[in-house]
Amino acid sequence: MRSAEGRARAWWSTSFSERLIADGLVLLALAGWFVMSRSMPSYLFPDIPAVARAMASLLFDPAFATHTAASVGRIVLSITLALLLGGVLALIPRYVPAANEFIHERVKPVLNSFPSVGWALLGSIWFGVSDLAVIFIQVAILAPFALINISEGLREMDADNQEMAHSFSRRRTSIFTLVIFPMLYPYIVAALRIAYGVAWKVSLVSELFGAQTGLGYLLMDAQGKGRIDLVFAICLAIVVFYVVGEKLIVDPLSRRYRGGQ
Amino acid sequence: MSRVAAAADATPARARGLARVRTGALTTHLLSLLVLLLWMAVSYVLPDYLMPSPWVVARQVARQLTTPAFLVHAGLSVWHITASIAVAMVMGMALALLSHFVPATRLAINGRLNPFLSSFSTVGWIFLSIIWFGVNEVTVIFVVAATLLPFSLSNLRAGLQELDRETIEMSRSFSRSRLKVVAMVLAPLMVPYIFATLRICLGVAWKVVLTAELFGGTSGLGYLIARARADFDTVAIFAMIVIIVMFVYLSDKFLIEPIQLRLRRNYAIS
Repeated sequence: MRSAEGRARAWWSTSFSERLIADGLVLLALAGWFVMSRSMPSYLFPDIPAVARAMASLLFDPAFATHTAASVGRIVLSITLALLLGGVLALIPRYVPAANEFIHERVKPVLNSFPSVGWALLGSIWFGVSDLAVIFIQVAILAPFALINISEGLREMDADNQEMAHSFSRRRTSIFTLVIFPMLYPYIVAALRIAYGVAWKVSLVSELFGAQTGLGYLLMDAQGKGRIDLVFAICLAIVVFYVVGEKLIVDPLSRRYRGGQ
Repeated sequence: MSRVAAAADATPARARGLARVRTGALTTHLLSLLVLLLWMAVSYVLPDYLMPSPWVVARQVARQLTTPAFLVHAGLSVWHITASIAVAMVMGMALALLSHFVPATRLAINGRLNPFLSSFSTVGWIFLSIIWFGVNEVTVIFVVAATLLPFSLSNLRAGLQELDRETIEMSRSFSRSRLKVVAMVLAPLMVPYIFATLRICLGVAWKVVLTAELFGGTSGLGYLIARARADFDTVAIFAMIVIIVMFVYLSDKFLIEPIQLRLRRNYAIS
């Protein structure tokens, strides 16, 4: 993304009124929430302190924090597996050109139009209620995003550079690690960024069907028990986790590539 | 890549290309057949409730496609999708235009509202709207529209930014009326972007509507899937997945792609 300096400049150049309206909108939303929670019963609209307390408990209360940790762990594992699977599928046509059509005209459209609920049900039918089911569901949903982005990267790859690489070495492994992988890196990061965004949303669906732990399970439990403050807290916590993870992990990874350019 | 290699070669590239296309098609069909055979083999080993055989699923697909009740539910799903896409497009367009023409709102819309909406999970919307609206059509349409809004907003905004500044400047020199400029220049120029946004929304909507109907609906294909799940009717679940994959694939290939191709040609967008 943008460098720190560029961001600072952007911050200064955004006009005062722009920031006023933006921060005003956030304040307005909070005020609206406050008014709603006052005028509506708390089982429909909890007040702000209750939700804040519930959000804090998701991180610090051991009973809830284990669910949070379970969700985070599964997401990290599924994204890794999905990127590997999508990458392998994208690379197959490169080394076996005859499989190109099969991957892009059969596998990709089917994976792409397969409903996530379908994977969720199949995962829970095949693997029962287990970590394996959740990870299967998430990987199946995320893999097409990785496949599409990485094959896009392979398509855009500079043919001249590769020819040059070929003239330096005929060894496929060293061409892959020294030329192809570095050239693919930005596309892999793009795939990671998309997969990361989708993963947080999908993790809830997969945990609703296939888990006894995790935020998705907790969400269903909270709704069943009428703990609407916890339902709100989980929804907002996911927004926070998503933004924090993007800033702390995904953005630095993509900047690293820029630094090398 | 393979094409590059063929062109670099001195041998008649064309004949080789044709041969490659033919072996490519052959491999594709063979591999597809292999997948089907694999499915059959697995279905022989595993019981029907874990993995029904392709024939059982095919029969069920045929049965469902000829059942009026199923078609009614499919139609209701299409209605949910249409309504929520319409809501998301109108709201997305309004917000995109607002942030484009009133710069003071830019950060509020693109820096606050959009990131919030795009990181809010669909399941979160489902649970909240079940609490607020109950289990009904309003919930389904609200959930799908809320999920689609960030997609339509980001894409329409990108479209507005890509618009040719010079054309707009020229139109300004002809008329100062903003309404006229929007109606006669901006709107027609936006058509291909609007269509591309529609296509993205459609793809997302299909996936989301099933989840929304499954938890928060009383009609539609997602509701049927929920019922099949409650009855442990794996065959019906498989059949519905097959029907949905087929429908999405065919409508994309034979309806949306040709329209987009035509738009691209008319608007000379690469």
